[in-house]
Amino acid sequence: MNHDVVVVGGNRTPFAKSGGPLREASNHDLLTSALDGLVARYGLAGTRVGEVAAGAVLKHPRDFNLTREAVLSSALAPETPACDLQQACATGLETTMYIANKIALGQLTHGIAAGTDTASDAPISVSDPLRRILLQASAARSAKARLAAFAKLRPSHLAPLAPRVEEPRTGLSMGEHQALTTERWQVTREEQDEIAVSSHRHLAAAWESGFFDDLVTPYLGLAKDAILRPETSMEALAKLRPVFGGDNGTMTAGNSTALSDGAAAVLLADAAWAKEQGLPALARIVDAEVAAVDHPTGADLLLAPVAATGRILARQGLSIADMDLVEIHEAFASTVAATLKAWQDEDYCTSVGLDGAIGTIDRDHLNVTGSSLATGHPFAATGARLVPTLAKLLHERGPGSRGLISVCAAGGQGLVVLLEAV
Amino acid sequence: MTVAAQTLNAPPAMGPAFAHALLPSRSHTARIPAHAAVVQDWTPDPARLAEYSRVCGFTLRSTVPPTWLHVLTFPLHVHLLGDRSSSVRLVGAVHVSNEMTLHRPVGATERLTLEVRADHLRRHAKGALVDLVGQIRVDDEVVWDGVSTYLARGVEVAGEPAKMPHLGFEPGMPQGRWRLPADLGRRYRSVSHDPNPIHTSRVMARAFGFPRPVIHGMWTHARALAALEQRLPESYTVRVGFAKPLLLPGTVGFRAYEDDDVLHAAVTSRDGARPYMVMEIDR
Repeated sequence: MNHDVVVVGGNRTPFAKSGGPLREASNHDLLTSALDGLVARYGLAGTRVGEVAAGAVLKHPRDFNLTREAVLSSALAPETPACDLQQACATGLETTMYIANKIALGQLTHGIAAGTDTASDAPISVSDPLRRILLQASAARSAKARLAAFAKLRPSHLAPLAPRVEEPRTGLSMGEHQALTTERWQVTREEQDEIAVSSHRHLAAAWESGFFDDLVTPYLGLAKDAILRPETSMEALAKLRPVFGGDNGTMTAGNSTALSDGAAAVLLADAAWAKEQGLPALARIVDAEVAAVDHPTGADLLLAPVAATGRILARQGLSIADMDLVEIHEAFASTVAATLKAWQDEDYCTSVGLDGAIGTIDRDHLNVTGSSLATGHPFAATGARLVPTLAKLLHERGPGSRGLISVCAAGGQGLVVLLEAV
Repeated sequence: MTVAAQTLNAPPAMGPAFAHALLPSRSHTARIPAHAAVVQDWTPDPARLAEYSRVCGFTLRSTVPPTWLHVLTFPLHVHLLGDRSSSVRLVGAVHVSNEMTLHRPVGATERLTLEVRADHLRRHAKGALVDLVGQIRVDDEVVWDGVSTYLARGVEVAGEPAKMPHLGFEPGMPQGRWRLPADLGRRYRSVSHDPNPIHTSRVMARAFGFPRPVIHGMWTHARALAALEQRLPESYTVRVGFAKPLLLPGTVGFRAYEDDDVLHAAVTSRDGARPYMVMEIDR
């Protein structure tokens, strides 16, 4: 990379369970709120930012230009261009790399990467046959042809369709896929519940210490993440019934992420430009690697980041022990547990093309301010939540501190990003 | 194929042929026509291929899946066994296995010559097995061969009872789950033009001994092939065995694994313990 790219800072809305305190807000509303908070924090009002990239996983057809429309609603100069990107749960991390790469190439001095999602305002669509009939009717040139199109209409065509939560190629939901992984890697209920408890404890402590004061802006009367349960315990989680993996399953609502509403944004800049502008620089974006697995024929859907982690460390000549902090997105507690097991598994690592096992990390360096189980997981927003969070944590530890973000995504994909404090 | 051929301008309409095929044959001795049925230089409707692809889960491409080529020959199966010289009726017969070879990628708009003959009538413990042997040519080049084996109950053939073709199955955890909606039989009928009412009508399904309508075996075959579409080579042979009828609506498991040069797949019960269909692809 020709130019050093730094994370200046971030901003997000508090996250909430779908149908909760943010239920009235659309993706447009949430994204605009996250952008405006960032603009206010870094004095960007009325200025032209190089580019804004954002995305949403659950997206209405009317939001084909979601990000540009949010920019036009925000305090940014209307001359700020924008584009929409999407890579399922890795969207917010992929938008970060899109902007970072443009800065690295000298195409931008600064830009904003973001993501938003609301499961409260999910798009409901019409059935495939009804859509085809409507398209045929609108293309028809005569009343007779239009009638002929409508004559094919059947009552069953009229049922509305909620967005599919299944992997299209397997018909299994993400939780059901993770249940297969949970069994294959023999992840126990206790391991999962411990990860969940620690996520809530860490997030509660971070809020308590004021860590999020310059990362979150209150929205619609909500000042704090609404899913967080500081008082949760192993005993309380042990009472929950399994929701994936059948009656003997170990995955519960307590150790799986909730459907969530929220948006997050991160300000990225050329290091030299940020210095000229008097903007802070928390951490440098070092590298990124994306990977995918063949889940339709049985590979673990959410373990694609393992191959990405091995490849990025090899390329940088680093080992996992060189990482001072690690963020593994908690899609499910079991995803984190299985990822850590896979890192240590020589056979698995070589089967995905790595030279050997990745190794192990000290649990005290993992998800130190909590992750998606406690915070919530508005799909596209999570990556843009993680980048400023880890950048700030590394910055606090001092220059040269290194960190890794690992995010799994639908479709058997995974994205890993390396940061280094400046 | 050196047998005498009856040449048709287009694949015959299935309604009348099926009505005829529903009439019980008076003869208990199994007989099959000696001639082949042929449709020459015919191009199928691209819109029907598109809908077939949607119903079965194939990506719509410029080249067609081999199961689509089978579907094109199917009216000739019905036509042939509805012939006066046949005492084996397709309605009521059970499709037990299928094998087809795609010799080269076949374009969606190629002019095809379709030929089907009945062959290899043999005794089985429950009646008779018969092969409907199809071939598709482009000009003189053979591009596709297919053999559909049916079991006709209650008819007699001389000789030693033959065994049903059998593909191996091992239980295992499904990698996928398909939900088959109640109207799937109707949707597949509209693209396959197979009007057999056991796939769409509860009453007719009961009349043939099924508690609910059953999905066409060739849909299940096509769906399984579609699930592996990125692993299919340019030309290959695929075999399937139908173990059990699949009732609609229903939920089934799907699993695939490789073993040397063979790609195995199975459509199973939800828990992966029992097979509905087993498939093997030679690559």
